[in-house]
Amino acid sequence: MLRRSVVVIAALASILFVPARVEAQTAPAEIRIGHPYAGSGPYASISMPVYLGLKLWVDRTNEAGGAFVKPFNKKIPLKLIAYDDQSSTATAATLVNQLITQDHVDMLVSDSGSVLTSVAVPIARDHKQLLFNPTGTGAAFFTKDNPYVVLLADPASTVWPKYISELLGNSAKTAGIKRVALLYATNDFTGTQASTIRNYIKAHADTGLELVYDQGVPTATSNYTVLINNVAATNPDAVVALGYVGNDIAFLRNLQDSGQKFPFLFMIYPGVEKEELLKNVGATGMEGVFTYAMSTEIEYKPNFGMTAAEYKKAWHDTYPDGKYEFGFNAIAGYTVGLVLERTLATTESLDQLALRAAVQGLSGKLTTLDGPFEVDAETGAQLGEITPVGQLRAGGKMEAVWPLDLANGKPTFGKK
Amino acid sequence: MHRVFNDLGLAVLVVVAMAVAPSIYSNQLLLFNFVMFLSLAQGLNVIYGFTGYLPFGYVGFFGAGAYGFALAVMHLGFGPPGAMAVGAAAAVVLALILTPLFRLSGAYFAIANLAAAQAVYEVVANPALEDVTKGPYGVSLSGVFAPNASYAAAVAILAFTLLLVVWLRNSQFGLSLRAIKEDPISAAMAGVSVVRGRTIAWLLSALIAGLVGGSFAWEVSVFYPETAFSPQFSIFAVVFALFGGTATLTGPLLGVFILYGVYNWIGISVPQYFQLIYGTLIVALVLFLPNGLVSLLTRRGIRVP
Repeated sequence: MLRRSVVVIAALASILFVPARVEAQTAPAEIRIGHPYAGSGPYASISMPVYLGLKLWVDRTNEAGGAFVKPFNKKIPLKLIAYDDQSSTATAATLVNQLITQDHVDMLVSDSGSVLTSVAVPIARDHKQLLFNPTGTGAAFFTKDNPYVVLLADPASTVWPKYISELLGNSAKTAGIKRVALLYATNDFTGTQASTIRNYIKAHADTGLELVYDQGVPTATSNYTVLINNVAATNPDAVVALGYVGNDIAFLRNLQDSGQKFPFLFMIYPGVEKEELLKNVGATGMEGVFTYAMSTEIEYKPNFGMTAAEYKKAWHDTYPDGKYEFGFNAIAGYTVGLVLERTLATTESLDQLALRAAVQGLSGKLTTLDGPFEVDAETGAQLGEITPVGQLRAGGKMEAVWPLDLANGKPTFGKK
Repeated sequence: MHRVFNDLGLAVLVVVAMAVAPSIYSNQLLLFNFVMFLSLAQGLNVIYGFTGYLPFGYVGFFGAGAYGFALAVMHLGFGPPGAMAVGAAAAVVLALILTPLFRLSGAYFAIANLAAAQAVYEVVANPALEDVTKGPYGVSLSGVFAPNASYAAAVAILAFTLLLVVWLRNSQFGLSLRAIKEDPISAAMAGVSVVRGRTIAWLLSALIAGLVGGSFAWEVSVFYPETAFSPQFSIFAVVFALFGGTATLTGPLLGVFILYGVYNWIGISVPQYFQLIYGTLIVALVLFLPNGLVSLLTRRGIRVP
């Protein structure tokens, strides 16, 4: 009897205590997060803020004892393994491979932008490693047959121009803004947006919208003087000029110098990296410009993580030298960290497809300072972080003007 | 004959080492990059080391090979071997078109060649050709993505390239090329067909870059024009070949193994010192060993394979 009791107690004890002991043994000493970034070269301006935002999240999480990891039911410190790819795709590809095969990272975060992300997508897929993609919005990355990529902090390129297209359509009906000139830098990010806007204008010709100028220029374009004259010669009501930060700075400076005015001018970066543009162009040169009103301008109420104002203060406290301005990409890096944190807190295991399922589980439930987080279950593209349209006022202030449910101001149009 | 066996022995050793390397070290893409630069540095060696013409725009042939591969897959439905052949043919055709550049020499040739590569890039990246090349928006060849097969193809290309250099070093044709490099007028007076010789070397060099470009497209499968036409490929190939020493088999090999090895070691371990260490290495080479590492032996009369 006693012997049987001992056996039963031993069996119960093994059920009760052994799994806990096994978990304690198998819990990793740290969660390894791999991230290539561009410390120099043409992509440094968009990559460094993402890296610094992610690093800020890692440091703060570790100060709090690490991230809670559900499969081990405890907090585990994070280790960020970051390599500088110097904006080289060949180096980025090698480093992604290094992170997967040599460093055996638990979570892989790709570099910023479509060009540097492009090389990571097939490698991650080949190694069955989920690629946490901050801002690589190229539509070609997101296919139904690849579950190993998910876009976290930017909507897909095709989603970006949704509201500017709608505003154009509305302005055609209500304000006679009908003749549209489209000038864009020929890269994946802006080219895809140009294509979406072009298709919208063609599909809504009944509103009177008409494309009077449609020109792609190299992304390296740094002088727009002749192009501005060419655009003005078509007598447009609206000019949609899509480029990267450097393009937008050059365009706005040249526009100021030329003295030319357009009733409606839309550009991407006056809203996305406003502080950078204010520093290089000045508030006067940006007044009246329509742009994306990003999370730097629209205060979302996050249900996880800091608010934009809190994060902006944390950013300036952590990086007081001002080498990299606070902007949308800084928010994107921190947003990636928040998604990683919630993923670890809800995943069933550190298996890569389990992580993907956990990210999907956040879709529609998570709201960060970057807005609502919503992932396309089939492709991994980001659909939730919307891009409302704002308009810059005197002194660099911005008002959201479209869609109406997010607007805190009304669009105003200049004279021809 | 002893010399040929020495050269062949070294070539076989390198090819076998790179063929078995993935079973020892799992970062296969890094190994692929080594194989790619070994071939590119030797391809550049064929034209620069043997004839003295330095093509700064060597990446033009590489990009033509990559895009030839991509177009054959996207529009002709070719499998990777056929697409590699198309890529190689595209590079050779481009080289034929550019043969008038041989009217120039020295820095003028190098700069004109760089401009030609840039022109090809602008054509490929032109948005008006989006239906053909996908313009600046990049190509996706995920349907043929097969890293093990593309690595094997790259090793095969390396074997072909090294055998070609062994042949050039030990054949009458290779000797005639070196005569052209030393003094084209004297070589012509001695009966060497200067135009024919350097044109063949030019086409062979382009063929190698085209094949390597094709294998690169196959390996990465998603790329943009600025990726395939990145000046980094030309710069690395030139620097690696010069660092080791041109007109030899060993020089470019040493250049790639040492410099690209250091490049990756710095990039991973101490990236903050990257420019300092790499720059110091290259400045030291230019100051103290302008003819490359192999000159340490050759100036003592020792023959280097």
